[in-house]
Amino acid sequence: MISALFLAVVWSSCSRMLDEEIRSQVGDTHLSTPEGFEDGVRAAYSTLRTFHANELGMTLTVFGTDTYTMGSDGSYKFVNEYTSQFDPRTTFVRDLWNNLYIGINTCNAVIDRAPTVEGLSEEIRNVRVAEARFLRAYYYFTLVQQFGPVHLSVKETTEVTTEASRSPVSEVYAVIEEDLRFAIEQLPETSPDYGRAIKPAAAHLLARVLLTRATSEAAEDSDYAEAGALAEQVINDYGFQLLDDFAKVFEQGSGERNAEVIWAIQYTKNAITNGANSEADGTGNAAHRYFLMEYDVLPGMNRNVRDGQPWKRFMPTTYTLETLFADRVNDTRYRKSFKDVFLCTRPGTYTVNGKEVTYAEGDTAVWLPGYQLDAAVKASKNFLVIEPADYTQKLYPTLTKFLDPERPDMNYEAGSRDFLAFRLAETYLIAAEAFMYAGDEAKAVTYLNEVRGRAAYDGLDEAEDANRRAAMMVTAGELSLDLILEERGRELLGEQLRWYDLVRTHTLVERVRAHNPDGGDNIQDYHVLRPIPQDQIDRTAGGSEAFPQNPGYN
Amino acid sequence: MKQIKSVLLGCWLMLLAIHSAAARGPAIADGAREFVAQATIHGKVVDGSEQPLAGATVSVKGSETRVSTDEQGNFAIAIPTDGTTLVISFLGFVTQEYPVRSDPGEEIIVSMQPEEANELDEIVVVGYGSQRKRDITGAVSSVDAKSIQEVPVTQASQALQGRAAGVLVTNTSNKPGGGATVRIRGNRSFSAGNDPLYVIDGIPITGGLQDIPPQDIASMEVLKDASATAIYGSRGANGVVIISTNRGNTGKTVVSYDTWFGFSNAYKQIDMMDGARFAEFKRESRRATGDYDDGDPNADANTPGLFSPVELASIAAGISTNYQDLMLETGNSMNHSLGVRGGSEKTRFNLSFNYMNDQGIIAVQDFNRYAMRVNLDHDISDRIRIGASILGNYSIRNGQSLNPYDDTLLENPLGVPYDDNGELIFLPTPDGLRSNPLAELVPGALLNRNKRLRLFSSLYGEVELAEGLSYRLNFGPDLVQNRVGNFQGKFTNARLGGSSAAQGNEDLVFNYTLENIVKYNKVFDEVHALELTGLFGIQHRQYEATNISVRGIPVEEMQYYNFGAAEEILGTGSDFERWDILSYMGRANYVFDDRYLVTLTARIDGSSRFGRNHRYGFFPSVALGWNISNESFMEGNGVFDLLKLRATYGETGNTGIDPYGTQGLLRRTTYAFDETGAFGFRPNQLRNDNLKWETTRQFNFGLDFAVLGGRISGAAEYYQQKTRDLLMQRQLPFTSGYGSVMENVGATQNTGFEFSISTENIRPQREGGFSWSTDLNLATNNEKILELYGGSQDDVGNRWFIGEPIQVYYDFEKIGIWQTHEADAAESYGRVPGEIKIKDQNQDGVINDLDRVILGNNRPSLTGGLTNRFGFRGFDLSVFLYFNHGNMIYSRFHEVHNTLFGRYNNLDVDYWTPNNPTNAYPRPNQNQEKPVYNTSMAYFDGSFLKIRNVNLGYNFPKSWAAKIKAESLRVYVSAQQPLIISSYVNRHQGIDPEGIDFNADSEQLPVDTPPQRTWLFGLNVKF
Repeated sequence: MISALFLAVVWSSCSRMLDEEIRSQVGDTHLSTPEGFEDGVRAAYSTLRTFHANELGMTLTVFGTDTYTMGSDGSYKFVNEYTSQFDPRTTFVRDLWNNLYIGINTCNAVIDRAPTVEGLSEEIRNVRVAEARFLRAYYYFTLVQQFGPVHLSVKETTEVTTEASRSPVSEVYAVIEEDLRFAIEQLPETSPDYGRAIKPAAAHLLARVLLTRATSEAAEDSDYAEAGALAEQVINDYGFQLLDDFAKVFEQGSGERNAEVIWAIQYTKNAITNGANSEADGTGNAAHRYFLMEYDVLPGMNRNVRDGQPWKRFMPTTYTLETLFADRVNDTRYRKSFKDVFLCTRPGTYTVNGKEVTYAEGDTAVWLPGYQLDAAVKASKNFLVIEPADYTQKLYPTLTKFLDPERPDMNYEAGSRDFLAFRLAETYLIAAEAFMYAGDEAKAVTYLNEVRGRAAYDGLDEAEDANRRAAMMVTAGELSLDLILEERGRELLGEQLRWYDLVRTHTLVERVRAHNPDGGDNIQDYHVLRPIPQDQIDRTAGGSEAFPQNPGYN
Repeated sequence: MKQIKSVLLGCWLMLLAIHSAAARGPAIADGAREFVAQATIHGKVVDGSEQPLAGATVSVKGSETRVSTDEQGNFAIAIPTDGTTLVISFLGFVTQEYPVRSDPGEEIIVSMQPEEANELDEIVVVGYGSQRKRDITGAVSSVDAKSIQEVPVTQASQALQGRAAGVLVTNTSNKPGGGATVRIRGNRSFSAGNDPLYVIDGIPITGGLQDIPPQDIASMEVLKDASATAIYGSRGANGVVIISTNRGNTGKTVVSYDTWFGFSNAYKQIDMMDGARFAEFKRESRRATGDYDDGDPNADANTPGLFSPVELASIAAGISTNYQDLMLETGNSMNHSLGVRGGSEKTRFNLSFNYMNDQGIIAVQDFNRYAMRVNLDHDISDRIRIGASILGNYSIRNGQSLNPYDDTLLENPLGVPYDDNGELIFLPTPDGLRSNPLAELVPGALLNRNKRLRLFSSLYGEVELAEGLSYRLNFGPDLVQNRVGNFQGKFTNARLGGSSAAQGNEDLVFNYTLENIVKYNKVFDEVHALELTGLFGIQHRQYEATNISVRGIPVEEMQYYNFGAAEEILGTGSDFERWDILSYMGRANYVFDDRYLVTLTARIDGSSRFGRNHRYGFFPSVALGWNISNESFMEGNGVFDLLKLRATYGETGNTGIDPYGTQGLLRRTTYAFDETGAFGFRPNQLRNDNLKWETTRQFNFGLDFAVLGGRISGAAEYYQQKTRDLLMQRQLPFTSGYGSVMENVGATQNTGFEFSISTENIRPQREGGFSWSTDLNLATNNEKILELYGGSQDDVGNRWFIGEPIQVYYDFEKIGIWQTHEADAAESYGRVPGEIKIKDQNQDGVINDLDRVILGNNRPSLTGGLTNRFGFRGFDLSVFLYFNHGNMIYSRFHEVHNTLFGRYNNLDVDYWTPNNPTNAYPRPNQNQEKPVYNTSMAYFDGSFLKIRNVNLGYNFPKSWAAKIKAESLRVYVSAQQPLIISSYVNRHQGIDPEGIDFNADSEQLPVDTPPQRTWLFGLNVKF
């Protein structure tokens, strides 16, 4: 009897004992609650940080173009060189792919569950779904530009699957367009949460998408006209305007949120909200590292917070320095894009220009004039002069747009600058390109000249101002694709657009051959698409039959 | 807690039941004969040298009358008038029967003979009980206290190294308090863990052995085959190590004190470049890119970015700094163990105290352990026994996760570490990443301190319910608290002059095991011996943790003691985890006539970690033994003292996945809207209710033998194990939004031979004569993957290949360096002379992924240990060799300290230049952070032979010991790891091929605190 009682007591307690107690994690039903639904939407944004303003995103958009080639350091030089090492195993390619699909599944989960979430106002529900669809469109757009035909999934994954296939580019664009049209319709013009998707951001993105689709196999006749119209709408309807001073656009701190910014990827000065987990949420805005030359071993210098961490990944090509930025009389953008002076941080006596020089803290230690000096002038300088002839993979003009002297420490990776993903100057240039191809060259040149005029030097008086501005103007007759590409190169240098621009305009191969000293010899026609990650192919049921590799890669 | 309460209630009810049974018990004992005492015998018990034996038991044969001898060995006992036989017993002596008449008239003197150690009658601890060695049917290796104490180690797991065939122990850290990985018969699991289960005083523990002082261990038994481990069911697949600690015994109280003191030095330094070599290497890295003009006599100064002023000054003055010399020092260690053992008739105890201090060869690394043990056994009555073993342990480990040694290797030898005033220069060169490695050693600059507290107990109560029938309750609560504090001051490599940072982690673990065991023992008709064991038990573990990471500690002296004062919180977190296992087990041992042995076991385990559909697993086993030497036809054969054949088959499981692995879970994400945090949750883990146990089926065939009166004895084993339903992260195409899902897919197999032999080569002719004995064990293991994801497709992404071990080295094969005359061929592969030449395996004219091949694996094909012991006139010498053969290693410093970049110091290798057309290493190049295909330079043969330990001791004669009132006194000197023989060490600038952590994802030989050679001086004294 006692034994039976014993067994009964033990049995009842034990079967309960084997139920798991989840405390530190959250079960996936949470996403179907009103709070969880909001969590899911916010999670969908976090994917943005995985391919903006970090080494991965920049390597796949800045490198291997006509404007940037490789500096001395880094493990991904082959992306620039287009050698056989750039293969389906490349981790950046794989991580980009994986992160985007994780983001897409998150968007899908939110979109699928939205109708069943109880306790949400209809308005919020629609806005949040529109945000998720905006993000999904942006992720698919990134995928289709990098990889061409990709797997399309618009439903949340709830069961193990190894099925995948490559949908034609036209179908991918159709999903993107539908999502963005919905977003434009449903999103508010502004959001109390700065950084959330808003109507003009969706319009800007769709303009970019249509401009891109227009040169693809999925092109539709109306693409240019609609891209132009959307861009115009962004320019005219929402109160955005170009800042007077190009340099102000990239002013760190409160200047980041300016009238020219349509939509920016958000980074903060708080480590906890800036992405503490590098795997999932990025490492803050880390772009400050990659464009810097190796200043810290030069006489009078050491590594410091103000000047930054010289990782020397990306070096401007001669084409960038000598052609794009050839005009330094009327155009302010060479001066405002590159750092030409380093001030001494390590006082002492050094041999410079063949003579002993003693630096005090803050003295000019290094100067990059940007042109060749007269030998006598150079010899007279009491600091190191690096002329264009002295440029190496370690010494070259440093792009200033991303420098982050407000980081608390010299070796602090997680920078706090917002990454200005969509800004009005680009909208103008989209408009210019779209109208040029749509046949409205007058409009095209007007928009182009808005951007150029803003970049002109201020003169000493109004007349000189006018002269300089006038010198920057181009006429409808001069309008050409090259002109637009050069303008984009100057205005948007380093802003994670160049590789897409060249692919979109079918000029990647010719321009890299002409201007990129490292990639030029190797680039092939197939390099307009990235390799599909080998993992994706290996893990898909049916392997390369079911999920074929892009041509040229193995 | 509710569960515990119910289970405890259940146990009380059970005890109640037992008590009522026990109350009826005496009826059975009533049959004992009674007699009337009529005479008293006085006597004395002495040993061979006429020394009195205190605490010997004297009893009257066939009655319950028994007494103990007093301090002088005297006793007095009442006997019946018609004479009888006295039985005198004392631990370690042969039990004697002494017939007496009722009127002996005078005192009798009983002289006891010491027990001849007969290995075959040794009692071996097996799961939930013990057996005579001759009755064991499974594959069990035991390591006795002598072998454990012989090599003074700081971690119990290290004491197993080279001692048991089929047990591979690898030291994974050379830091004080560093651990070892233990593998029994290879690896079988991809993700559920391959560490064996440790059972201490009957309680299975979770986690390693680092808290158990080796001095407390009486014996370690390694259960290798499925029959022996199946009773541990779901936790037994990786083998079981059973550890018994010293217990007290009846008799004179023995106080023992053991101590050792030692010095250690780095076995060898890594051969890095000196200043002059480094300067030339840097020049070459510029020549390779055309940036160094040999025609310019001032090229050193005129090449921008080549040499800084300090480097130029050092070159001019011929200065070279060897940072290894400056960092490594002589380490020292000491150990004090004090033990008190004894007991009365009813109560036996063992108390021990242990203090260990190990000061490593790098100033910031040390280990202190304070341990206290109380083992108690008490007989409440003839039938009821209770006992406890309680271990309290407090340890402080410094610098376990610090690696300043790595920095010394990379540091520029042309830099100057100290200024003219002897002060450290934080940046010895302008290289902003290379701070002075010696700055890491400044007291307070860099802290990593782990304070660990553990209270581990094993409590039991045992009742004999009836003759042969007993019930035992085991309860093993185990509390572990860890507190890790980290601090990096401003002037450390981690902070490089930025603000200081600190991190803290604390966790609290509560485990308990509760087991009810019923045993029944009976011999029928003198030839049928039956033993039945039944068990019901639960195991529970709960883990809670918190952590924080901050930056900007305002005053460095605050270290990690005031997180609130920090400028910025970088992250905080906490964690919780719980799992439970519920078990039922039954075992039957049957021996017929000491000739035929059968063991049957079955266990059912339920685990909270598995999905609803497969929560319970069933693990049966069967074992057969045939004691051939006890057959009548073997009688008087004069050769075999033992010849036994064994065959076993069984299934065991592995539950070692993390809790919550079957749940659909979300992951926290971070974003911000402007400066406001925008945290979220996204799908991260797919639900899987069908997950179940990994199951290992194992056959084992064994042969035990002993010949020539036990002078040669040993065992041979052959086994084959197949593990199915492997828990594996099944890789999914990421287009689904998930990279993987845990599934039961795949199978592995391990097969091997094990052989161990002990010989007494020379027996001493007389006391103190020359003796020599040898223990040798050898093992092979062949590990391979049989199946992946239900098929025979290789998984290149995970580097899993059918027919190969779980971890293989799969990479390009270096066949040399492209030479100048091969420039055209090199170009066709996109290379230039001076770069690594890779074998074009498929000869398609392109080097791509298809040219990667399996280069080897780090599983030794043969492992073994050889111990030789010599004795002569009080001297004892033991020499212990340990070897691994046939494995490949990946040597990390051949990769990361051999980047040939011309920036960091480099391994002093024979690199290629146009004038030095070597095939060894490629040309330095300032524009590449590492050579193309650099990993191909790091593979080496990992075979080695080590003299692990040489120990020379001297036992002082008893008369000398008596002068300090001691019973015995021994001093010894021991050399640990005096010699490593390996081609990796002798030919390839390596230090020690041992040290790959099989638990790490990347199986690489790390660059960390170097191995040491240690000299120890020790003393053992007993009072």
